[in-house]
Formats: sequence, structure tokens, C-alpha cells
Amino acid sequence: MRHALRVLRAEALKQHRQIFGSKLVLFSMLVWPLLQLAEAYYMLHPLQGGDSGGPRLLAFLATGTLGFTFFFSLVQSSWHFSMERQSGTLELLFLSPANRLVVVIANGFGALVQNVWLFVSFSVAMFWWLGVVNVAHPGMYAVVFLALLVPAVAWGAFLNSLLIFSRDSAFVYTLLDDPMWFVSGVRLPTSALPELVRAAGSVLPLTGSLAIVRGALLDGQGVGDLAGELVTLTGLSATLLLAAVVALRVGEARAQRTGQLKLF
Amino acid sequence: MVVAWATLRRSWLVTRRAYPWTYFVGNLLLGVLTMGLAYLGLRVLGGGEVGAEFREKSGTGDYLAYIAVGAAALMFVKHCILWTGKAMIQEQREGTMGALIVAPARRLPYLAGFSMFSFTAVALEVAVLFGCATLLGVRLAPTGWGDGLLAVAGLALAVFGMSVVLSNVMIVAGEAHITQNSVFYAIAVLSGFTFPRPYLPEALQWLGEVVPVTAAMDVVRGVFNAGTGVDPGRLAATLLIGLLYTTAGFLAMPWAERRAMERSY
Repeated sequence: MRHALRVLRAEALKQHRQIFGSKLVLFSMLVWPLLQLAEAYYMLHPLQGGDSGGPRLLAFLATGTLGFTFFFSLVQSSWHFSMERQSGTLELLFLSPANRLVVVIANGFGALVQNVWLFVSFSVAMFWWLGVVNVAHPGMYAVVFLALLVPAVAWGAFLNSLLIFSRDSAFVYTLLDDPMWFVSGVRLPTSALPELVRAAGSVLPLTGSLAIVRGALLDGQGVGDLAGELVTLTGLSATLLLAAVVALRVGEARAQRTGQLKLF
Repeated sequence: MVVAWATLRRSWLVTRRAYPWTYFVGNLLLGVLTMGLAYLGLRVLGGGEVGAEFREKSGTGDYLAYIAVGAAALMFVKHCILWTGKAMIQEQREGTMGALIVAPARRLPYLAGFSMFSFTAVALEVAVLFGCATLLGVRLAPTGWGDGLLAVAGLALAVFGMSVVLSNVMIVAGEAHITQNSVFYAIAVLSGFTFPRPYLPEALQWLGEVVPVTAAMDVVRGVFNAGTGVDPGRLAATLLIGLLYTTAGFLAMPWAERRAMERSY
């Protein structure tokens, strides 16, 4: 455990130095998600009858943007992690005694916490101002937080572990930007999506996280009502972590055989 | 003209040999998924109809055609900024800006060459997007070929002016990622690409007027969506602000280049 905490602290410090080199990072942390939210709101606003649905639509989209910020910040941190391979430091990381799985989890976790706190604070203030929050009991806030954090960290570990196989990860990230918001129901309820798209979305943890966040925050559902979603999301997170372990093992064995970690 | 033609040929040559598929797919996906969102949203949220308020503010009841034109225009604008606006910082990153500065080539034809490249290269993406839109039942009816060309030319001038100014900002700041994305997200809200601007608070509507593509989009909307043809007032505004940005950008360019060069050494 002490070993894991040391790795976590080191990775968090590395992320901090990497991300917060300049104040401009505020743009990607707050300004961009806000502008995206505003655009989505005004684009869909003409489709809902009258002004009465305004706050409700805004709350729906804000929860979507919040969830997307969590998961996309991990796509970005994996992008940064792929630079380790290009600059040759991934090989050094693998030579160090640090546990591989802890490294990939810590990398995602460190980036996540530092990237999302500002937008989370803003979202909390906005929900309070809109007056749309309807929770069954205060404990549900913890459920919401965990339903975002745990799958996001598992997702980050999975993405990071995939990098060991490929030197060009750009394509994966193009696929996980816009398509992710589309299939996961960030801007539309998943019930509005065609069957095939919904099936694709169901394998992404963001879809399950959003169902729980919206159910708990906006519809006043308790743990009992969301039990099915919670179990599925826990199973999906565990699967992602397991896949990360397998990918790291297989990838490292392959890298030892071919020496390709050094060869970008 | 020789410089512009050479730049255009060079860019096409590079692109043909190593086509940036990731870039193509990324840009196209945003347009196609925006169309998908509009289509599903219209069916599920709106029950196939848009409210009267939208008709009043946009001048058309055809929501899908409105979004298709906006998504295509946004793709066009982004493409031009990514090529023309980033041309100089690309030279800076590759270490060839010094050579470019001492070369006898002037900046106007050089950047115009990049613009011509991006306008021709984006045609493929726009064609694919309109193909998808047609599958979703969108039928575009511009008020005339001449009007259509004039509207697109206005948009091209506006985005060229923006790109010249952004090019200076990028080489002075020495970074492109934050600048380009902030501009993309901001114009998506301010310039009326996916919704009519009267939905915005008044202060933001006025702020939108500072961006050259806003007036250009009003002309595009009149021709392709509202069916009212070219609005001479908005076209004049597009020309004025587009030329203003272009002139200011080229006047400030020697200063920006000096700053950028001094920092590198």
C-alpha cells in the first residue's frame, strides 16, 4: 500500500508539472466545457416546446458535459502518456520497480483530479442556481461522485495500458472524442439513439455513469432504483481493470521479446 | 501569384503522399455527428417539428437544413484556420521560419496559397457531409448560383482575415493548441453556426459582431436557408471587417515575426 501511495504521489506531481506549466490550462479546464455546453444548449433549445423545459434541458446537458469532462480528461492524459513512449521514458518506467498497474491507474487518477475540480465546482454552483437537483437522500451525492470517479479511473488505466501495443495512438483518440459524446448520451437520452448506436454506447463506462448521475441528481432515484445500473457499472469497471492487467502483461512480454518499446 | 501557386502545389503534393486521415476523419466526424444529433433530437425531443420561435429567429422552418449548412460552414472555417492560420507556426516549429523570412516571397501570396489549398481540400469533406445530410432528407435550395458563390466567397474572405490575425497571435504566443481550440469553441457559440444568434443574450450578440465570420454566416443563411438572397448590408459588413482583419494582420506581421524570431535565439 505504501508503495502504491508513493507511485500515486509521484505520478500526481508529474502530472501537475506537466499540466500546470501555464495559466492557459484554465481554458481547457473551464472555458472549453462551458462553451461546449452553451452551444449544445442553444442548438437543442428550439426542439423543446416553450421555455418551461429550459432549466431541465440545461441540467440534462450539464450532467452530460460533467461526465464527458471526467472521461475525456483521461483520454487526454493517455495522450500525454503516449508521449512517454515517444520520448523514451516509458521504457525507463518499465525498468523501475514501480508496479505497472499502479502506474497506469495513478497516471489517470492524478490527471483526473487536477483537471476536473474546477468544472465540478462550477457545475455544483450551477445546479444549485438552477434549482433542479432532486436527490433521494444526501448519501446519493457520494454515490454520484463514486459513479463518476471509479469507472473513469478504470477507463484511464485501460487506455494507458493499450499504449504498450501501438506507437500511433492518435486514431484511438479521434475515435473517442466526438463519437464518445454521441453514443454515450451526453447530449441526448440514450433512449433516443438507434439500437446499434445504443449497443456501441453500452460498452463505454461513460454511458452507465451518466445514467446513474442523472437518475440520482435529477430524478430523485435511490440506490435501490439504480441497483441494476450500479451492478453493471461495477462489472464494467472491474472488466476494464482486468483488461488493463492482461494488456500490460502481454504487452510487456511482447516488448521484451521484440525490443519495440525503445523503437518508437 | 507564383508563390501562391507554388504553395498550393506543395501542400497538395504533401497531402497526396501522406494523407492525414486522422485529421480528415476527426473533422468530418464532428460535422456528421452534429447532423446525427440534430436529426435524432428533432425526432425525439421535437416530435419532428421545431417551435415557432425558431422559425421567427432563423427565417426557416427546416431545422435539419439549417444545421447541415452550419456544420459544413464550421468545417470550412476550421479547415482554413488549421492550414492558413497555423502555416507560420508550423514553419517556426520546423525551424524554417528564418529561411522564409529572408526569402523574397511575400506573405500575402504565401498564405493565400495555403487558403486555396484548404478551400479545395475541404470540398471533399463538405461533399461527404452533404451526402449524409441528403440521406437524412435534407434538400438545399440556394437562391441562385451567383448568390451561393458570393456567400461562400464572403465566408472565405472572413476566415482568411481571421487566419492572418491568428497566425500572428500563434507565433507571438508560441503555441497553437489553446488558441485554436478557444477560437473554435467561441465562434461555435457566437457566430450562429448551429443556432440562430437571436437566441443569445444581447451582449453576446454584439460580441459576435467582432468576429468576421458572423456577418459572413448571416449572408450564407440568407442564401442557403431563409431564401431571402444576399443581404447587401451584411455582405458589405463582411467585406469591411474581413478586409480590416486582413490589413491589420499583415501590418502587424513584421512585428510578430520579429518577436517570434527574437524569442527563438
